[in-house]
Amino acid sequence: MRWLILGPEIYFLAVAAVFLIFSMRSPHRLRNFRTALFLAALGVVVTLATVRLEGSLLHGAYRVDLFSQVFKLLLSVGFFLVTCLCSSLNGIHQARHSEFYLLLATCTLGMMLLVSSVELLILYVALELTSYSLYALVPLRGGDGLQMEAGIKYFLTGIATSALMLFGLACLFGATQTTYLSELAQEMPALLNHPMAFIGLLLTLCGFFFKLALFPFHVWAPSVYQGAANEVTAFVATVTKVTAMAVLVRWVSISDGGDSLAHVLTALAIISMTYGNLVALVQRDFKRLLAYSAIAHAGYVLIGILSMNPNGYAAVVFYALAYLAMTFTCFLVLVKVAPDGRDLAIVRLAGLHRRSPLLAMALMVGVFSLGGIPPTIGFTAKFLVFTAAMQRGYFLLVLIAMINVAVSLYYYIQVVRAAFLLELEEELPSIHLSAPTRLLTAVMVVVMVVGGFFPRHLLDLARSAVQALP
Amino acid sequence: MQLASFPFLSAILLSCVVGLLVILFIPRGQDTLVKWVSLAFSGMALALSLYVYCAYDRTQGGLQFVEKVQWVEGLSIHYFNGADGFNLPLILLTGIVHLTGILTMWELGERVKEFFAFAFVLVLGVFGFFMSLDLFFLFVWYDVSLFPMYPLIAIWGTTRKEYGALKLFLYLLAGSALILPAIVYVAVGSGLFTFDILALMQPGALSPGQQKWVFLLLYLGFGILAGVWPFHSWSPVGHVAAPTSVSMIHAGVLMKVGAFGILRVAIFLCPAGWEYWAPIMALLATIGIIYGLFVGLTQSDLKYVVAFSSVSHMGIVGLGLSTLTPEGLSGAVFQMFAHGIMTALLFSSLGYIYDKTHTKLIPDLGGMSKVMPVASGYFIVGALAGMGVPGFASFWAEVTVFISALRVYPVLGALAIGALVLSALYMLRVVQKAFYGERNERYAHLRDVSIGLGLPRMILIAAMALFGLFPRLMLDLVQTAVIPFMNGLPR
Repeated sequence: MRWLILGPEIYFLAVAAVFLIFSMRSPHRLRNFRTALFLAALGVVVTLATVRLEGSLLHGAYRVDLFSQVFKLLLSVGFFLVTCLCSSLNGIHQARHSEFYLLLATCTLGMMLLVSSVELLILYVALELTSYSLYALVPLRGGDGLQMEAGIKYFLTGIATSALMLFGLACLFGATQTTYLSELAQEMPALLNHPMAFIGLLLTLCGFFFKLALFPFHVWAPSVYQGAANEVTAFVATVTKVTAMAVLVRWVSISDGGDSLAHVLTALAIISMTYGNLVALVQRDFKRLLAYSAIAHAGYVLIGILSMNPNGYAAVVFYALAYLAMTFTCFLVLVKVAPDGRDLAIVRLAGLHRRSPLLAMALMVGVFSLGGIPPTIGFTAKFLVFTAAMQRGYFLLVLIAMINVAVSLYYYIQVVRAAFLLELEEELPSIHLSAPTRLLTAVMVVVMVVGGFFPRHLLDLARSAVQALP
Repeated sequence: MQLASFPFLSAILLSCVVGLLVILFIPRGQDTLVKWVSLAFSGMALALSLYVYCAYDRTQGGLQFVEKVQWVEGLSIHYFNGADGFNLPLILLTGIVHLTGILTMWELGERVKEFFAFAFVLVLGVFGFFMSLDLFFLFVWYDVSLFPMYPLIAIWGTTRKEYGALKLFLYLLAGSALILPAIVYVAVGSGLFTFDILALMQPGALSPGQQKWVFLLLYLGFGILAGVWPFHSWSPVGHVAAPTSVSMIHAGVLMKVGAFGILRVAIFLCPAGWEYWAPIMALLATIGIIYGLFVGLTQSDLKYVVAFSSVSHMGIVGLGLSTLTPEGLSGAVFQMFAHGIMTALLFSSLGYIYDKTHTKLIPDLGGMSKVMPVASGYFIVGALAGMGVPGFASFWAEVTVFISALRVYPVLGALAIGALVLSALYMLRVVQKAFYGERNERYAHLRDVSIGLGLPRMILIAAMALFGLFPRLMLDLVQTAVIPFMNGLPR
């Protein structure tokens, strides 16, 4: 019975197995999609059922607590949402659809292991499971070769950071003689001035900075966002970021009050958001724009993490949820407006207000939410992060972040401008949305507005999740 | 402080929200229905704000119609609304301008549903901002009122609309980039860890040193929206680019959001900073008054003339706020109301003329009063009010401000008065050139404004005259808030 707490992990392993079998049969697009949708929805239910479970396995190397379960819920919701986008899956050759779902499932499984692992080796193995699935997912797109460039870039930078991280893990072990997070947490505060332990922790975090696309580990993001199929990018942009936020919170929280670590993270946060926002200003492709916006958001998230107080961690949990909702909404619009699975230049959003008012509204709310305009969930997330940073006395950091927010609005408003103002020369037909898609879009809009205006319950959940941290 | 038995203030907000939702669910193409629905819900909001204005107990004073609900635990954010002598005039102003704005846009034919939906979001933010007493909500409402401006101007605007919309949007959100850190700093740095303005007002919450620079941040942040010189440059461009009713709301109400933010947040929370920076505020305000008048009067575009006069009149509000006297404060609040109504009238009547003639250039208009005597009449009444002619609300407001300004800053006050008197001469010339010149035959076939379409202007003139003839209807109310506030300041 003890293994029941592994419910979500076992379930997603089973999902992977189903698609492994599917991949050996003749390709059938609709069957794949319907099965995936059903299994993903069931996955949300399974994860929801295990939210309140607690325990530890493998001699304390694997920990199931509210923190990990909340993130597993987010992951399975993210998996479900991304699956919802795959009704046509035009970007990927039909013969590879089963592999696509298979890799999506193993990747989600790896991430679930990641948010629960409290031991260095398990952490590394889980990370590699995630990474290798993504390495295969990115170049899966059929097309002109851009996807290969993206795949190779992602792979090379990925294994390079993974080598750095291994070195960091070795340093950590060398400094503390343990691979268990709980023991590390006891020794770390005293050891933080010790160069080996400090570098070890920092390099370990690098593996997740890479996933979060934080400067200087961001170089893959624009190419991968643009080169991968839209649905894969949606997955990379939402679910992987959520995981990275979770793991960073868990691992930074062991070095409570480490000023030198906070200094390094402050520098990274400032550079990351400034760089991301400035480069995003000149982007023409919607996915590249979102990639640079993701780099900027990595900086904002890091502000919450480097505050190193429970409010900051809770703010990051809230941010993860908000980020999932708002980025997904942007990709939902992207996938629906580019039905042939190609990339979408921002100007191609022109006339969207006439082609589909609902999508235009969703895009506006999503983009304004990314830009941090109230009463959307993105604003509330930023507000919480900034409040936490202010509690540590980082006034200037908050001011710099807010100036960044103001700068970022310039490119977010360009997207709104394209959707509401620009008119296409040739008349494009209006976009037909199926009833479930319309419902999904409306639900996302409601979630973003209501979650931003009534953050109370979500915030309570985030707080209790953070309290469960060791 | 007593909680309200019925949440009248929230009902105002709710009528905007419900109006918005109803409009969103009306199928496309039903333009007339959208307009009637907008009218109904804005009428409801106006009726409620009128009720609150009248039902406020002036003998008792203080905060009334209070609604306070814990919103987020742990962060001490409250949904906290209340009405007092400071915000009641502005709530009423918002109600009037929104209703008359909808009536002014009755002939709109392009993307009607979206227009009225965005307008409701805008007004929702403004109402919320005026009535809120919690810093978190103040900021939320502030931004809610700003972001619809972009689509409203960029889609339905006229002269250089995209440029104007973008400039306005970026300027104002740059302002909010200064406000948010300051607000969070006040909540956290005071050690109280609350966003409740009343709790943060208690003496000693912030040290005088903290107050000085927090005040500066807040003054700059809100000052951008209030059109304080030299941060005003977005406002003439934005006013001119905006469609008529948006100009009305924008110049009439939204700039007051900035001025009210300076009052409610900066001055309330940092009185020591207020006293420290008051001379600078007075200087900037006076420059604004003079600059706005003279730049405005060299313009050949009539809408620019009105837009720059807004900068100048908002300077009067700023001058009143910087006097540190009860009269100055009351005058400033009264001027916010009076100027709001007056500008709305000017933009509204100009909008009608522009819709028919498609020009706003003064030389082209020449002799307009011979073509459209009634429509021109509305504009001229507004212009007279702008000059401070007795009998209109703005006269009392300006007199109150200038008397106290003369006492506190004799030189600046005298300069401002001198500029205003001079400007009256110029303004009369503008009116003469645009309305009393040779009759322009090109427009001879145009029809004058009908009674129905003239209704919004009549409402505005009536409001201006009512508070001009009976200024105590408002000044007494404002005093109930100003005097306790000034007496409560640590001296």
